[in-house]
Amino acid sequence: MVSTLIPLFVDALANAAIIFFVAFGLTLAFSVLRVLNVAHGSLYSIGAYVAASFGLWIISAGLNPWLTFPALLLSAAFVAALFGPLIEMTLVRWTYGRGEAVQILVTFALFLILEDLQRLVFGVSSLYADTPMALLGISEIGGIIYLNYQLLLIAIAAVALFGTRLFIRHTRTGRLLAVVVADREVSEAMGINTRRIFTLAFTLGVFLAALGGAMATPTMGVAPGLGADTMVLAFAVAAIGGLGQIEGAALAAIIVALVRVLAIYYVPELDAVAPYIVMLLVLLVRPYGLFGKPPVRRI
Amino acid sequence: MRHPKILSIALAAALSVTGAAQAQDRPAELGVGVFTFTSGPAAAYGMPGRQGAELIIEQINAEGGIGGVPIVPTYVDEGQGAQGVISEYRRLAESGTVEAMIAALSSGNCLALAPVTEQLQMPTLAWNCDTHQLLLDGASSYYYRPNGNTIPEFMAYALYFLAQNPDVRRVAFINPDYSFGHDAAAIVQATLQAINPEIEIVAELFPRLGASTYQTEISRLSAARPDVIFSNLWGADLENFVRQAMPRGLFRQSTVVLALGETILQTVDVPEGTIVGVLGDGYWRSPEATEIGRAGAFAEAYRARFGEDPVFPTMKMVNAFLVLQAAYEKALADNDGAWPDSAALIAALEGLTVETMTGTITFRGDNDAPVDQIVGTVGAVEGVDHPAMTQLTRFDGSALMPPMGTDPIAWIASLSPEFFAPFLVPATAE
Amino acid sequence: MSKRMLALIAAVLVLAALPVVFPFTRFMLTLAIAKGFAALGVALLLRAGLISLGHAMYFGLGAYAVAFLSAKAGISDFFVGLIAAAVVSGVAGLIFGAFLVRYRAIFFAMLNLAVSMVLYSLFSKLYGLTGGTDGLRVGVPSFLGWEPARQTFEGVLFFACLILMLGAGWLGHRYLQSPMGQALSAIHTNELRLEYLGVSAWATLLSAYSVSAMLAGIGGALTAMAVGHVLPEYLYWTQSGHLVLTAVLGGFSAVAGPFIGSITLEGIHTLAVGYAAEAWNLIVGAALLGVIFFLPNGIVGLLRGRRAAKAEEVL
Repeated sequence: MVSTLIPLFVDALANAAIIFFVAFGLTLAFSVLRVLNVAHGSLYSIGAYVAASFGLWIISAGLNPWLTFPALLLSAAFVAALFGPLIEMTLVRWTYGRGEAVQILVTFALFLILEDLQRLVFGVSSLYADTPMALLGISEIGGIIYLNYQLLLIAIAAVALFGTRLFIRHTRTGRLLAVVVADREVSEAMGINTRRIFTLAFTLGVFLAALGGAMATPTMGVAPGLGADTMVLAFAVAAIGGLGQIEGAALAAIIVALVRVLAIYYVPELDAVAPYIVMLLVLLVRPYGLFGKPPVRRI
Repeated sequence: MRHPKILSIALAAALSVTGAAQAQDRPAELGVGVFTFTSGPAAAYGMPGRQGAELIIEQINAEGGIGGVPIVPTYVDEGQGAQGVISEYRRLAESGTVEAMIAALSSGNCLALAPVTEQLQMPTLAWNCDTHQLLLDGASSYYYRPNGNTIPEFMAYALYFLAQNPDVRRVAFINPDYSFGHDAAAIVQATLQAINPEIEIVAELFPRLGASTYQTEISRLSAARPDVIFSNLWGADLENFVRQAMPRGLFRQSTVVLALGETILQTVDVPEGTIVGVLGDGYWRSPEATEIGRAGAFAEAYRARFGEDPVFPTMKMVNAFLVLQAAYEKALADNDGAWPDSAALIAALEGLTVETMTGTITFRGDNDAPVDQIVGTVGAVEGVDHPAMTQLTRFDGSALMPPMGTDPIAWIASLSPEFFAPFLVPATAE
Repeated sequence: MSKRMLALIAAVLVLAALPVVFPFTRFMLTLAIAKGFAALGVALLLRAGLISLGHAMYFGLGAYAVAFLSAKAGISDFFVGLIAAAVVSGVAGLIFGAFLVRYRAIFFAMLNLAVSMVLYSLFSKLYGLTGGTDGLRVGVPSFLGWEPARQTFEGVLFFACLILMLGAGWLGHRYLQSPMGQALSAIHTNELRLEYLGVSAWATLLSAYSVSAMLAGIGGALTAMAVGHVLPEYLYWTQSGHLVLTAVLGGFSAVAGPFIGSITLEGIHTLAVGYAAEAWNLIVGAALLGVIFFLPNGIVGLLRGRRAAKAEEVL
């Protein structure tokens, strides 16, 4: 009995690690900017495309294959540096104070544009860049062979979660972020440069999405359509955890992944429905998510 | 328009025995709508088909086209989803620029297009989709399929691996989540259980088309400990699954059957001993194709043009064009050289027999033309620098076709061991 | 008889004449009008400041209602199909709406998305019942026993869509002028003040929500009949996004807006397929940004000129 349970949890955690990064980025940007970025999933897939292309280039150029590991991180940083400030300072900034409808529409338009741009830049055929996965080898857990890379992902997700906590608690920028989240108007009155904080938070969100995409490439094929699918899953996880709640996103990612894995093991027909059923059930009981609080009704 | 084309048309017209008067009422071009995936994960399978179409059209046109009329294709991307495919089909048909369609790749799209072919009275050749549901009702009068049917195809896979591994008891499926995947699972299961009722299905997974990762599915398959894993994943999904499953030991643990495996042998090192095949007879290296003698030269030209070997979707597409060409030529001959309208073209397709590059087809009364089914095992072949198909078995397609008007699954279940015995002979190395 | 009325009549006449003069536009226009119904539904909610990222589910429910009747029950009457679709989607809207309209802003958008994705996944996964991702066929509908050939049917369907559009437009216009409709805009401007006046925001929104669901369902039913096939992709979240986009593009300050938006989009699509199929989403996305930045009242706002572009700015 125990031996069948262990693989189940390993699978769930490996799944959760990837979803967590995307949902984390979405929820982080939302907590600071109060903007739900519908194009967030596209940044995940752009991260995946850039990382896959970079990794394939390293191999074809005959460089040391271990360079593909830093390449994953570099790709995410590159995507964040390119798109983060660009999108925040132009489109997103324009929507501040214009209501959620405009924010959703503007980022939806961005989503449409980014989806086609990826097609034009990266083509339509799938990319496979599995060198990092092959380099790390395999382990047997509960009689089933897992990739060490999958286990590494779980560790990295945990590090990212605690690292962010430490960053917010113990660095100046982190504390500024927390202050802006807590009360935007007061922090502005106190002379905090909220614009800079917004750009930073948004870029951090983009980085996390792109990192999720980059780190997923060694265990998957990268093809068009990835962004749209990831987007709804990230939505679901962020909503279950409570929009803007980082620990909530982590817990929600594990719940969603566990339910999906259980579905694949025992009722494969429900595998795609599972995350949304969980989302609906949670939101029926706690409409603002597991860790969320209802917004204050202002007159 | 380029000069060589004009020249070849003029030449063909001048040489045409039908005379100037009739040549004049021929159209300047023969518009054909060609439907395949050129985007998304399915493009890995659809692009070789499209490239095959480009090359064969070029070759047909270089020889003067069909009855002196050059083929002008309009390509439609099935990657846009069935709604877009139907809309495009309608738009093309109603704009009057095409006279025939070669559609489609996906069984789902073919099922969706079937009523539209009737409504618009558009002669349509199914170049790749092979779900037995398509022509099951026998009512289709504009849809013709010269390339295979899921029933003989997947019966053949079940027979091949039972012949190699008679002791198989535990079977698992991982197929795409639409008619093609579900049909194949039902057919293989029915065949196995008709032969040996003790065979048990230990896992049945239908991941959605275009899923990017299969890691959890691989764990699940691994945990089920099957003797055989059967899959008819295809396109990028297939490559993705194999790339993810190989390092995790799935191919060592179980015998894996990849029904559409030939398409990825050039790009992935599929382990030796894996059972792979093509759909139908579209294997250009098969002894029969060599005997017919056209496939080798075509593959040569294809390699020169696209830098890779053709795969079976290429051959299926090419064969569909050869059938279209034969139908037009028969219609022209039957009508004293007058250019056929859609009714005349349909009349020519009725019962037509054509030698394609890889075999011979004859349309039955239900517009289906059974083709043989080739299955093999991955191994090394001299002169081929990647894993290739060895120990080929060519199953007689017509022998495995249910009689017209019967429910195929019930038919399989009703078959006796005596029926199967001749097919259960293990293939030997070439 | 104002100038606007004359312009409207002229526009409808041109629309009616187009498929007669250019037959290839008929299918495109039928689809455009059908989707216009769904966009009108979304537009109703936009007036209350609510953005739904899940209305494709009602569109899909309407389409599947027609398909189920045709494929499973053998009933393929146009009117039965249409009424069934309206009832199914309207009732679904009432049930889901009772829970959904308690939320505002992002939460409203996301919860709609969640419900629609549950339905989307169910429709794609329940292969035995819904045909999975293959979808279901829809036979050529009959009209109260009259069974036209497909070609005739397409012509009839187009004019039926046109008439329904005028009907829906008129009813929609009346609704927006009614106290109920006025209350809708008031929810956006100041919900509390509305409740102090004794009007229940919940009841106002719920009625608007089920009407909007019903409109989407009618759009789905017409699309199903025009295309002859229904698919789970009708319910996917990007479709919902496209419906919102259509409403905003056309402008939701007038009932004609969503239809104008839909016809414009389908028109551009038809052109783009030939020349820039790869960049279709890019074009639409850029157009949407352009409209949000420069034409907050959509194409309708542009047609009306500056004069009317006053306090109606909802965006």
